[in-house]
Amino acid sequence: MSTTTVRASRRADTPAVRVGPLARAARRFGVRMVAPSALLLVVLLAIPSLLTVAYSVHKVPSNGASLGEFVGFDNFAVVLSSPVFWSSMRTTLIFSAGFVVLSTVIGLATAVLLNQEFVGRSFARALLIVPWAMPWLVLGILWRWYADGSVGGLNSLLLTLGVIDDYQEFLADPTSALLLTIVAAVWRQASFAGILFLSGLQTLPAELNEAAELDGAGIWGRFLHITLAWLRPVLITVTVLNVIYAFLQFDVIFAMTQGGPGDATQVLSILIYRQLFVVTNIGLGSALAVVLGGLALVGGLVTVKLLYSSESR
Amino acid sequence: MRSNATQRSQRLPALGRRAFLKASGGGLLLAAAGPALLSACGSGGGSQEAWEGPISMLGWDFQPDMIKQLVADWSAESGHEVDVAILPNVGYSAAIQTRLRGGDKIDLFYNFAYNSRKFVEEGWASTLNDLPGIDDLVADLFESSRERHVTPEGDIISVPYFSAVHTLHYNERMLQEAGLSAPPTTLQETYEQSKAIADAGLVSSPYVAYWVKEFCEEYLHTYLLAEGITAFDDDGNPVFADDPKTEGVFEWWQTMYREGLAPASVLNDDPGKLSNEMAQGNAAFFVLHHYFLTSIRDLAGPESENVLLAPVTAQNHTLQIGEVLQMGANDNEEARAAIWELMKYYGWKDGEGRYSVFTEWAKAAGLAAPYPGFFTDPDVVEAFPDYYDLSQLSQIFDTGSKVVPARTSAWYPDFQAKVGDVVHALLLGEITPKDTVAQLADAATSAQGSGGL
Repeated sequence: MSTTTVRASRRADTPAVRVGPLARAARRFGVRMVAPSALLLVVLLAIPSLLTVAYSVHKVPSNGASLGEFVGFDNFAVVLSSPVFWSSMRTTLIFSAGFVVLSTVIGLATAVLLNQEFVGRSFARALLIVPWAMPWLVLGILWRWYADGSVGGLNSLLLTLGVIDDYQEFLADPTSALLLTIVAAVWRQASFAGILFLSGLQTLPAELNEAAELDGAGIWGRFLHITLAWLRPVLITVTVLNVIYAFLQFDVIFAMTQGGPGDATQVLSILIYRQLFVVTNIGLGSALAVVLGGLALVGGLVTVKLLYSSESR
Repeated sequence: MRSNATQRSQRLPALGRRAFLKASGGGLLLAAAGPALLSACGSGGGSQEAWEGPISMLGWDFQPDMIKQLVADWSAESGHEVDVAILPNVGYSAAIQTRLRGGDKIDLFYNFAYNSRKFVEEGWASTLNDLPGIDDLVADLFESSRERHVTPEGDIISVPYFSAVHTLHYNERMLQEAGLSAPPTTLQETYEQSKAIADAGLVSSPYVAYWVKEFCEEYLHTYLLAEGITAFDDDGNPVFADDPKTEGVFEWWQTMYREGLAPASVLNDDPGKLSNEMAQGNAAFFVLHHYFLTSIRDLAGPESENVLLAPVTAQNHTLQIGEVLQMGANDNEEARAAIWELMKYYGWKDGEGRYSVFTEWAKAAGLAAPYPGFFTDPDVVEAFPDYYDLSQLSQIFDTGSKVVPARTSAWYPDFQAKVGDVVHALLLGEITPKDTVAQLADAATSAQGSGGL
């Protein structure tokens, strides 16, 4: 019987193992199982990404007949020298910061609440899925109507609560329009975060909290050192996803304001849409997309780095 | 003790980088070669093969059942099958360009006039110069409308889908109660009358218009034309920037918004809501395409019957708009002949010389056609509700409106996309009227150059 020695790991301290025909067959099976997904990823993700990078350094004709003339980094120079880009970048960062912080915090708070014992908890947990089940575009349209100054429910609510003393046109004001697009997007994303946090909380052994309580730890101390510590892997996942979702957000904002009023809610994804699909300046739009993709990637990596380094401390 | 799973994972090697690269490289090759192979398999011969149809037609979702019925009537008569596909109006421009760029073959499609020349230049639409009867169709158009369909070089690039003029919808009762004997005839009078109506307590913000970002460009031309300002010369230069009256137009526009004579919500309101504001008596003036009078009347609100039409201005012009039908790139003569027959029927006259399609659109929504004969055709006259003054409307089309030929230039969509940002900044008080002139001129120049954001 022939055997093959393979290195199971590159680490020097890991012993080499001998793999028999059964293991090789299992390996082939594994590769075959993964191949369709890998192929899909290549076709749907890697190829478009590479094409986008290629387009970003060309003056691409709108009809897509060819790559067009190679222009080096000219498209990036146009992007980076444009005040429209920097204004949009500022809006994107404000939107993203609000989106990430609020969806993570509200999601966590909701999960902690829904992890308590109370009457109707199952129903409340079921409700948590509703925002997440709603498409971003539909959500944007609903929130647009909800924020309407004549017929929207938001005005009525705020008037009843005494927050405002007259009906307001929130989406016509640059500041409140940006705020409302953040709130609308958070409404859905917090639900997603809440679901993940709740599943993490359900794996937290009750004995840990009980023991800490016996040792005299307060509510805040238990939350910080037991609950939050236990949830750290989930927190990292949720935060990274939130960062990526934040940078790539388009549908809700477009449905609510189309980037207006003025450029108040014109995040980078809306600029990309305009250049790629309306004006069909493919080169410029692709350069913007590369910048945004890079931003989302860096944002995600920095978040991972920060959260893991705080974990190791 | 290590678990079974851990032991298994140590025995089995992970999917190696080399294996992964091999697999993904194969996928990449397959993906890259696939379309070419498919294309090679599919294109067995030249474009002059026998054409069997069907004609593929793409439109936006304004009365989709009506579109299908009209086309079905033509199919039954001509014997040619037509596949009609409908897309949402919002995002239509992006969707059709994406489809065409992706290689979709569309024989006949609705298009926005501002995209029409670009589509020809990109090879997505063909010129109609050589088609039988095209000269008669062009001759039949209002002179004011021809530049929308014929380029300065003489190429005929489209036929009408429908046409409209920007008009002033006004509430006659409110005017009378405010002591005003006639609707305004200039922008300044519009301001004064709006103020008078607001001061009389009839309505707090009397003037509404569809000032969302995507539509500001139409109002830019409507207001410039109302003051007799030419926006672009024959070479596309933004000569509005040199006209001293232009700054005054933007001052007027900003004042209407900043003083609350137009409600804050107009930056987001859609025409359906604005029509309802007129029907309910929450507004006294509404500038938009003439056919919104049908919407206002059909809403049957307490003020619907008091709303009438007037020109935006008495002395100068208003903007004439019109969306168009274009023929896709198709070299097959037989196919072109069939598509052209459908285009003539849908965008001009049927086989019996009647404006049968336009008559149906007039009945359904008050849409017009840019042909003088349309307004005197007995079927059309019968189709329009009584509250339309067709002679007035015909006169606006004939001598009271302009199409702004630059709007069909290939560079124009780039400019069009930027106008909303600048105008909104003006209305929000973020920039001055003078800055607005400069920024719009820059946007036009940049659009004709290398583009930019």
